[in-house]
This record gives sequence, structure tokens and C-alpha cells, in this order.
Amino acid sequence: MAAEVNEINLGRTFTAGIWEQNPVFRLLLGMCPTLAVTAAVKPALTMSLCVTFVLLCSNISVSLMRNLLKPHLRILMFTLMIATFVTIADLFLKAYAPDMSRALGPYVALIIVNCIIIGRAEACASKNNLIVSITDALGMSVGFTFALCVLSSVRELLGAGTIFGYPVLSNGWFTPWLSISLPGGAFLTLGLLLGLINVITKRNK
Amino acid sequence: MRSIKHFIEQSWLLITAAFLCGLLLALTNAALEPRIQRIEIGEMYDKMKSLMPQADKFEKVIPQAEIAGNPTDVYEAIDKNKQVLGFSFVGTGYGFADQIKLVIAVNADASKLLGFDVLYSNETPGFGSRMTENWFRQQFVDAPTGTLELIKSGQADKEKDQILALSGATVTSTAVVNIFNNHIGALKKLLKEKGLIQ
Repeated sequence: MAAEVNEINLGRTFTAGIWEQNPVFRLLLGMCPTLAVTAAVKPALTMSLCVTFVLLCSNISVSLMRNLLKPHLRILMFTLMIATFVTIADLFLKAYAPDMSRALGPYVALIIVNCIIIGRAEACASKNNLIVSITDALGMSVGFTFALCVLSSVRELLGAGTIFGYPVLSNGWFTPWLSISLPGGAFLTLGLLLGLINVITKRNK
Repeated sequence: MRSIKHFIEQSWLLITAAFLCGLLLALTNAALEPRIQRIEIGEMYDKMKSLMPQADKFEKVIPQAEIAGNPTDVYEAIDKNKQVLGFSFVGTGYGFADQIKLVIAVNADASKLLGFDVLYSNETPGFGSRMTENWFRQQFVDAPTGTLELIKSGQADKEKDQILALSGATVTSTAVVNIFNNHIGALKKLLKEKGLIQ
């Protein structure tokens, strides 16, 4: 019986991150990378991968030491660990994907202040066991990746007429809508997508 | 005595974690640093080679030079007949959003530019990022190494050191021209001091 309850919780924890509590579309967290790196799909996917790595590592380590954490020092501990994992991810990108590292610029280092990661450490990993924390990190990461992919596909398609760098809309009749690739276009696309998600959620209620 | 005990009780986890994280970072850095450096040097060589295709090898003639306040190595390009083709270095300046780093090449007596290539930039896509376009870069090839002048419209006259700006990206165009104007004079002086040009 206990195992069954646990199983249901795990499934819910995982799917919550993808839709009900999608970090970007529902909780509006991690807006900095969401707006900054979604001009094309490739950098958006790389950013999602980095966030997944950091979120997973941070949730695992916070969950493992949750009983040792002193309440007034916990934020310091979270930041220390998150900063370490982000720096590792940044070094790996520089060594194995230098083009992507250049394209993402300072935004990889800025994962340190991404609210999704510290938020999950505080709300989930510091209170739950390892399995729940890992499931939560995976769910949130899939949700974040999904949001970034949707946003970057729309922006790359309209802003450059390409997807993954391959021309899709460039056979003469389509003029790339450059402003969608610019920061203003990020706000516009995100706003419209949020509106759409709100409509879908209301209808489903 | 009690306060020390209290301090250790409260902070032992943080101190241990700080040491462990530091160790982890040091190990990762030690493992990846050579690879990262190789990539950066390789990229610099590729750009120099594209600016001086006849070059057979590049020799670091002035390591860690300071040109216009920016540290860079100065390389000498040598062809198969051991003739000096020119010199190359990295020029740095500020663009619209971030630093711009250019690999710049001049000919053997530093009288003409051989062009530039972008080593690092973070300019606005579709506007400042067009500084990598061929027509813009070609304007610098064979231009005299005097002070360059940026013009915003019309036909640029290379003999008069004129460079036509990228439309909609005046800040980036000015930054590129300023990098040349700030560095080339200082480079010539440095090369003369070291006896590499007359």
C-alpha cells in the first residue's frame, strides 16, 4: 500500500513539472535564460541541458544533506553547490562545445541565479528523500526544456526562417521577421504563449 | 571556548562543503584547461591563416605585448621561402553589448592592413553581428595603416582610409574602426622598437 502511494506521488511529481507547475509557463521562473537564449533552438537546447545537469546535481546533494542543514545557513549552502555545478557545466561547454559556449555567452554562468534551481532546492530537495528529489528535478527539467523548445522554435522560425539552422521558410516568399530574434521579440512571443497556455488551462478546468 | 564550539557546530558543514566544492572545481579545471587552451589557440591560428593564406607558420615574436592597453601576443607570419608575410595580433574594444575581439593582420612593413576576423563578439543578431560579412571585412583589406574614417553612407574610398558603416549598426561599426585606430599606431611603434620593421 505504501509503495503504491509513493508511486502515485512520484508520477505526479514528475508530470507537475511538465505542465501544472511548468517552471516557465506556470511559475514564471528562470525568465532570464528563457528570454535571452531562445532566438534559436540549438542554444536553447544547450541551455536546457546545462540547467538539467545543475538542477539534478543540486537536488541530489541538497536532498542527501537535508538533515544536516542549519536553517540560517541553507541558502549559503545552496548557492555554494549551485555555483560549483554551474562552473563545471561552463567548463565542459568551453572544452567540448566552444561554439555553443560562445553563443550562450554569460548566460551559462547566470544559471547560478536561476530561481528554478534554488526554488526546487528549497521547496522540494531540502524536505524530501533522494528519489522524490531526483524525480522532481527531472520533471522540472523536462518542463523547462519543453518551454524553451517551444519558444525558440517559434522565434527561430519567424525570425530567421530556419529550424536548427536548416532553412524551412526561405524559398522566396518569406522575409525573416528580424525583430522576433531581438529581445523585444522574446517578450512578445513569451507573452502570447503565456496567454495561449492560460486559455488552454482555463478550458481544461 | 564555548563560542568556538558553537561556531564549529554551526558551520562545519559549510566549511567542509566549501573545501569539497573547491577541490571539485580545481580537479575539473585541471582536467579541462589544456583542452580549452588548445581550442582558443587553434581558433586564433585558423583566423590568422584565413587572413594570410600563404603563411606556412606563425611565430610568436612578441609574447604578452601590451597594445593600446590590451594584452596580446604578436605573431609573425612566415611563408615557405622563409619570407615574412606580415604580423598578427588580437585587438580588443567595446561594441554595442559586449567586448569585441578581432584578429588583425598587417603586411610585412606594417604599411597596409591585411584584414580582420572576429575572435569574440556578442553583438545584436542581424545588426552588429553583420560585421563578419565579407563586404564589410573586405573594406579593411589593403587599406593603408593610417587613421581610418567611418562614413555612414555613400561610396567609401579605400585610398582615403574610408570605411562604410553597417546600416543600423553604427555603434558596432565605430567600435571596429576604433579598434583599428587605437591599435595599429601602437603596433607599428612596438614593431619598430623591437626592430621587426624599419
